[in-house]
Amino acid sequence: MLKYVTKRVVAAILTVFALVTIVFFLVRLMPGEPFTSAKLTKEVAENMNSYYGFDKPILEQYFTYMGNLLHGNFGYSMKYTNKTVNYIIGQTFPFSADLGIRALCLAVSLGLVLGIIAARNRGKKLDFACVLIAIVGTSIPDFIMGALLQYFFGIKWGLLPVAKYLGIEYTILPACALAFYTLASVSRIMRSSMLEVTSQDYIKTARSKGLSELRITCKHQIRNAIMPVMTVLGPTVASVLTGTFVIEAIFAIPGMGKYYVESVNNNDYAMILGMTVFYGCFLVLCNLIVDILYGVADPRVRIGKR
Amino acid sequence: MKKRILAALLTLAMTAAMVTGCSTPSTGGDSGEGGGDSGAASGEKVFRYATNTEPTTLDPTKGQSIGDNEIQHAITEGLTRNTAGEVKPGIAEKWEISEDGLTYTFHLRDAKWSDGEPIKAADYEFSWKRLVDPETASPYAFIGDYLKNGYAIETGEKDPSELGVKAIDDKTLEVTLENPTSYFLSLIGSSGQYAPLRQDIVEEYGTDFAATADKNVYSGPFKMTKSENNEYIFEKNENYWDVDSIKLDRCELSYVEKPDTQLSMYEAGDLDYVMVPSAYVPDYKDKSEKFMNGNVDFCYINSQSENKVLQNKDFRLALNYAISRKEYNDLANTGIYEPFNGLVFPGLQAKGKTYGEAYEMKSYPIEGDQEQAKSHLDAAMKELNIASPGDIEIELTTTDAESSKKIAEVIQELWQKSLGIKVKIRQVTYAEIYGNVFPEHDFEVGYGGWGADYDDPYSYVELFKGDSSYNYSQFVNKDLDELLVATQKETDTDKRMDMLKEAEQLILDEGAFVPLQARNIFYMLDEDTTGINFYYCSLNIDWVYADVAQ
Repeated sequence: MLKYVTKRVVAAILTVFALVTIVFFLVRLMPGEPFTSAKLTKEVAENMNSYYGFDKPILEQYFTYMGNLLHGNFGYSMKYTNKTVNYIIGQTFPFSADLGIRALCLAVSLGLVLGIIAARNRGKKLDFACVLIAIVGTSIPDFIMGALLQYFFGIKWGLLPVAKYLGIEYTILPACALAFYTLASVSRIMRSSMLEVTSQDYIKTARSKGLSELRITCKHQIRNAIMPVMTVLGPTVASVLTGTFVIEAIFAIPGMGKYYVESVNNNDYAMILGMTVFYGCFLVLCNLIVDILYGVADPRVRIGKR
Repeated sequence: MKKRILAALLTLAMTAAMVTGCSTPSTGGDSGEGGGDSGAASGEKVFRYATNTEPTTLDPTKGQSIGDNEIQHAITEGLTRNTAGEVKPGIAEKWEISEDGLTYTFHLRDAKWSDGEPIKAADYEFSWKRLVDPETASPYAFIGDYLKNGYAIETGEKDPSELGVKAIDDKTLEVTLENPTSYFLSLIGSSGQYAPLRQDIVEEYGTDFAATADKNVYSGPFKMTKSENNEYIFEKNENYWDVDSIKLDRCELSYVEKPDTQLSMYEAGDLDYVMVPSAYVPDYKDKSEKFMNGNVDFCYINSQSENKVLQNKDFRLALNYAISRKEYNDLANTGIYEPFNGLVFPGLQAKGKTYGEAYEMKSYPIEGDQEQAKSHLDAAMKELNIASPGDIEIELTTTDAESSKKIAEVIQELWQKSLGIKVKIRQVTYAEIYGNVFPEHDFEVGYGGWGADYDDPYSYVELFKGDSSYNYSQFVNKDLDELLVATQKETDTDKRMDMLKEAEQLILDEGAFVPLQARNIFYMLDEDTTGINFYYCSLNIDWVYADVAQ
């Protein structure tokens, strides 16, 4: 087990290193410049370039950046000139993560339940209803979902706050809007996985032993059927927790989401790199945890890797 | 059996609800409850509004957007205070201007910073030197070019100590300008970059100076008490010299990226002021009011383009006469802007009235003139030996913003229909258009616009001055350049204004660019709120003197 984990961790570190290097050079190939505005004069742009060290050879810049990165320092944003990328991530990540955790709890718990109900009632009306929810959930884009929730609950019925993130009542609408897609996909995967497991030999064995249906479902079916869901959850957790551009924009949540898109539009190199590295590490970490959990949940994985 | 499953499901759902009910991250500061009517209940006067451009910095020297400057206008106090064009004494009680208009001597009043320290002349000297110092790398350093040696310091030719500003004593500031600048007092009253700074505070925090609200002290009518999580809270500065004129206790500015969300928040009563997103203006026409923000939009024509037709004056004039700006505005902007056929924003001050009132516009008709277009096109074709208009192809460059795309398509359609030429559209990102395309003159015709930083036509006509950094069109005209240099030396303000009008006329007569529209901003304001001012250069909304009915 230890060997398995060590191998995974080393692979993860190498992945992040490669990611930083590639992104560092790729951003320089983007068209446009980091300092752009209708009012910027050539002279001012030159001063700003040398302030950020862009007049130095690119390799020197790369080693400086890597050196800073080893100390956990992402540098100063080029758009928000006196804020560091670390500060911005530190300010915004808690909001994105908070919203993400709420949405995930909602999505995973309800998604699993719907999937199980659907599978146990295969072909019946209940199954049909669950599948319908799943289809609606995956096909309605989150910005429409968000806008609809905002309009009905926020403006029309005045039940919940329209936007911002100042207390529990503010979190309900965005969490629901964000949860919907994940909920739908989890329920679909769970349903098909449950159905697949139902025809396995060990279920037949369990049934022939005379176990109750509840015991079979809980002890044998769910435990085996949940593996594919775990696979999807790794990347989903990473992307949901680090902020979503659309939902955060609609509900004016001070999260990270907008900086992914905006930093690229602004050619804010430090910000692009910071966001990529942060997200990359998070994603690698989530996948690592999933990998390790596989090993824990299924002994065959550990043995197979040897 | 079924019941047990149901019970299990319910438990699961409840657990989920409990977990999701964990507390939200702290919003920092003590005003976490934010909006709501909490202020009104305790008798506080609070004004709440939103912006869709996140402020880039709270450092007055480094401000680079209208939004940045609007914040500085509330928390800093210049030597003068410019409220919607009306210039009144600020920290300077009175001043003398030398005969040649080059030397200003400001006499400061007794005023204090928000921490109780006196505001001294040296605070201005320090701030202005920091602005032009290349080490500071302020994106707006060029606004310091009015000061003597400002430009030379910016380019590293001179030392910041040689800047034309000197604190004679704590209460006297002597300022020397590069040229007599009649709008200098107006400029320093509305540009945050000319605010005073405290050297001890700037040095104490270093690169973290003004990173957050608590890392600075304030000279203006308000002090900032919070700047995190997209909330900016301003509270009345009790140390402000003219605190009796300030009615508001607090102002809450939220950064809300989506204009639609802002509108929803206004509808739900969470905001007192909102800008109506342009797509919604037709629906809100009756409920909203409008102001002009000084932005004029137009097409640059690269007059040294490799595409020879654009070097031809007749062809450029044909492009201008061919467009009905009214039709254009209806199609491209659902008619919400003002069709415009000039260069200088007509709301600027000139000769005691507005520029638009002071001078008659002699330009291409708003409805266009197809006959003129045709005859100019024929003249151009004859001169360039082109047989058919179909042989002419020009490229129109815009950003990839949805609104710009629509505008480009309308212009394309109007030109193709009227002149029979081919128009190709090229889309680039915003970072490219101002990073490479315009500065490197890598375009034929390009959609852009301009808003002035100061209340003077020079800001607009400078776009076509031969050696100007903003001369994206590469337009070179000796008469114009001489005229513009002369305006900088002229001390008779009325005469100077006539010269600037002459310059605008020359640019129009040469068909140097294609004017399109002047922008209207539609907004809604809560009926209890009064005293909001709107301005058309360097800032738009000015709520410093706002009042809220109880």
